[in-house]
Amino acid sequence: MIGGGIDAGSRAMKVVLMDAEDGRLIAAGHADQIPDQARLAAELFEETTAKAGLVPRDIGRIVGTGYGRQLLTRADTTVTEITCQARGVQSLVPEVRSIVDIGGQDSKVIFLDGRGVRDFAMNDRCAAGTGQYLEMTARRLNVSLPEMGHLASFSRRPAVINSMCAVFAESEIVSLLASGAGTEDIAAGVFLSIAKRIASLAGLRLQPPAVFTGGTALIPGMDKFLAEALGRTLTIAPDPRMTAARGAALIACEQMRSAKPAR
Amino acid sequence: MNEPTNGDPLIHFGRMVDNCYDYAEAAKAQGRPVVGILCEYTPREIILAAGGVPVCLCGGALETIPEAERTLPTNLCPLIKSTFGYHLQRSNPFLEWADLVVAETTCDGKKKMYEIMSETRVMHILELPQMADRTEALARWTEEVRTLKTGLEARFGVRVTDDDLRAAVRLMNRERGLRRRLADLMALDRPPLTGRRLLDLKSLISGIPADLEQYELAIGMFEDGAAAPGSPRDRLDQPPPVRVLMTGVPMVHGAERVIELIEAAGAVVVAQENCTGLKPILEDIDPGADDPVRAIAEKYYHLPCSVMTVNERRIDSLRDLNRRFRPQTVIELVWHACLTYDVESFRVRRFVEDELGLPYLKIETDYSPSDSARLTVRVEALLETVRARAAADEGRR
Repeated sequence: MIGGGIDAGSRAMKVVLMDAEDGRLIAAGHADQIPDQARLAAELFEETTAKAGLVPRDIGRIVGTGYGRQLLTRADTTVTEITCQARGVQSLVPEVRSIVDIGGQDSKVIFLDGRGVRDFAMNDRCAAGTGQYLEMTARRLNVSLPEMGHLASFSRRPAVINSMCAVFAESEIVSLLASGAGTEDIAAGVFLSIAKRIASLAGLRLQPPAVFTGGTALIPGMDKFLAEALGRTLTIAPDPRMTAARGAALIACEQMRSAKPAR
Repeated sequence: MNEPTNGDPLIHFGRMVDNCYDYAEAAKAQGRPVVGILCEYTPREIILAAGGVPVCLCGGALETIPEAERTLPTNLCPLIKSTFGYHLQRSNPFLEWADLVVAETTCDGKKKMYEIMSETRVMHILELPQMADRTEALARWTEEVRTLKTGLEARFGVRVTDDDLRAAVRLMNRERGLRRRLADLMALDRPPLTGRRLLDLKSLISGIPADLEQYELAIGMFEDGAAAPGSPRDRLDQPPPVRVLMTGVPMVHGAERVIELIEAAGAVVVAQENCTGLKPILEDIDPGADDPVRAIAEKYYHLPCSVMTVNERRIDSLRDLNRRFRPQTVIELVWHACLTYDVESFRVRRFVEDELGLPYLKIETDYSPSDSARLTVRVEALLETVRARAAADEGRR
């Protein structure tokens, strides 16, 4: 029996297939989002199953998650990204107590205890504190996201970015550039401002071990800025973009297992 | 002119605004003054005893907000803006009929808005002392309520006797008692109503005889085993929904989006610790009190609004409601820029998590539906957590 997870995020679609018998990862795939999410999900799903030498009907159950979860016609059921993210990370780091997830259009902090999700906090009303904001800044600085991370590591005096709003932060960056601030200092300032947003979202409740997930976890140095603002070190999850889809696949596996003996 | 309700109280209250319109229009024609109220601190008994028709004017419409924002700051509570928008647009018939609007110095946003409103409307503002524990506070408030009585007497040319006040107390006790009995049905394992439906079982105008009859009818119906459509008792084929206690700001007519999305996500709101729910109906007034004005003032002064400091009564009330309604989680609703509820939410969260041991979620939003999908994610995630824990506890037993 194989369980599938599809995570329809704002920036990327992810698919993970897991073996329900032994919890082994069978295949994973991701693709940048397009307007027709349902089609992208179907294509990526077929591509990922084919990669594993399987056909779609080999997959016993599919759980959809992410912002586009209601559009996933292939999914048998949907579960929120909070539950899926927690499940996915717990399978990799069983003792995890906090998860910081910075995705394309939201950021969240999930607090766990031995029984799973205990509480969570989300920023989803504005772009500040999200991957989108980082992409915008990288475009302004004319670098790629990984390059921006590298650039920031050379900063000696990170620029101070006060704006709580991504739109105003962009004009603040324009003024900083005009005033001759170094791009490395601006890059560092942007990372720090995101890290501070996450710190205020987490409040005083962040317990170790803390795990960092989402596409932004792949940016070199982002975890250091977060650690500085949070006063705690974070472990970057293995394949941090895929953890929610992994959790969805694991939940699909669990649902298959519990449905079997019951009826 | 209305279609028959076929004796169905749900249909009767489904037409609540029309019913109130007809009632106020008829009362007006008979020479009864219409008195607008803007807060649950306003003692309706005083208005009723003076022959007035007390009608709630709190705005729940998104549509009137843009007009209000031409005068008021954008960053202000939607309830205040919506109410003020109706005032500017002259689009709330009850406000246009009102011979007087009574209001209090509750939150800063409201009281400063009243200053502007009173430039063109006849208003009576009561000063609400905000340190509820001070011994002199209740005496001060009682004098304010007494001033309202004499003010109404002078304005409407009537004399309000203690017997008039006692009759009004009995009427309001009856109304509160009936609404309490309906709300108590939510304590059942399978409530015969949804929280959303219960929210509809009330009226902008207090003391309408037809409403009181319909409350009685509804209680009888549900006590005999009837179930409102979509309620947990109605959907016996489904597992019982997650029991939610809502606390925080009022959800006035038109502003029910959040309770709707909570229940659509698989919950039933069993208790509403807010001014459109249980908050104003938990306590009655002794009709035999020597000084009815003081007895009335005391009941109203006990209302645990977040404008009070320290608002210990709210925590006590939550403790009691938790015991009676057995929620599995608490969701606090805060209207955007409602400072007092927003700040007080820190204490509520701590109480809910530490003392009640329940998961807590705060939702801060306004009347715009733009964040509904995002709020649904939070609520669904909360309900998933509650269900997973309930299942684990079940497995351990």
